[in-house]
Amino acid sequence: MFKNKTIRNIATLALGASLTAITFANAEQIPITGTVQSKCIIQVDQPGVFGNPNAYTLTTASADGGRTASTRVDVTLADSYYVTFTHPDSFSSSPSLPDVVTWTGTTQVSTVSDATGMGTYETSKIVNGSQTRYDMTATGSTWFETEVTASLGGSRAFPGGTYTAMVEAECIAK
Amino acid sequence: MRAVILAIVLAFGVSAANAHEMTPTYPTLVPSHVDGLLKATMQMFNRRADVEYYEVGVFDENFEPVPFVTAYNIFKLDYQSHTSFDIYIRASDRDRAAYICSRSKIRKGSEIRTAVSSKICSKIKK
Repeated sequence: MFKNKTIRNIATLALGASLTAITFANAEQIPITGTVQSKCIIQVDQPGVFGNPNAYTLTTASADGGRTASTRVDVTLADSYYVTFTHPDSFSSSPSLPDVVTWTGTTQVSTVSDATGMGTYETSKIVNGSQTRYDMTATGSTWFETEVTASLGGSRAFPGGTYTAMVEAECIAK
Repeated sequence: MRAVILAIVLAFGVSAANAHEMTPTYPTLVPSHVDGLLKATMQMFNRRADVEYYEVGVFDENFEPVPFVTAYNIFKLDYQSHTSFDIYIRASDRDRAAYICSRSKIRKGSEIRTAVSSKICSKIKK
């Protein structure tokens, strides 16, 4: 009698446990949704740093102790964007300067993720004054390096202080 | 093989820290709840750790400004945050408006010597 009751209890518990397991097996499903769409992403890999090779020059050239600004552009739709880099023609912040500053700058492709599709980016670029424009005809990532030099007029020395200049990277849909 | 995977991880890991993205690339103007105004909805994602503020603008084909209204022309977008915003333009400017652009705003006191200002322009679908 006692044995039968124990067996019955164990069976009841087992049935309850399996029902619970079924309940857990049917637990809520959490949806994860997303949309894939074309886009252009501008990623600043490394801001530049001015080197000071002589009293009247500030430059990001690595040979002169500077560091070029490096920007990566990711494009997910071919032939849909232009990328334009504009090197600065003034400091966004600096000490008071005793003379006019002359600016020069260049932007060039340093690395591409698709050598076949992006191989002509550098040769096909259009330079107009301080702007360099690239036609992004392929999908993938392109790394650009921008080098900037500022020379103070009359070979006068740059006053001591912090100098900041802005390179503008634009991605414009065609 | 390991080296290739590591290189990919490093490439994405390092560069993903400082990105500016805005979608859609080709937004559509749709009628808004106000008569005579059209609306486009844009999304932005800030992965630039050095940028907290962005400015939006509407421009014609020659990048001349076109009047528009939005909640904030310059808004704060924290690092790794998404936002969605509506741009309203007059129906009479429909043919003139060509681009919706967002531009990163860098603080004047930034210690970075040559900062990169990023600007992304979406083209309004005609």
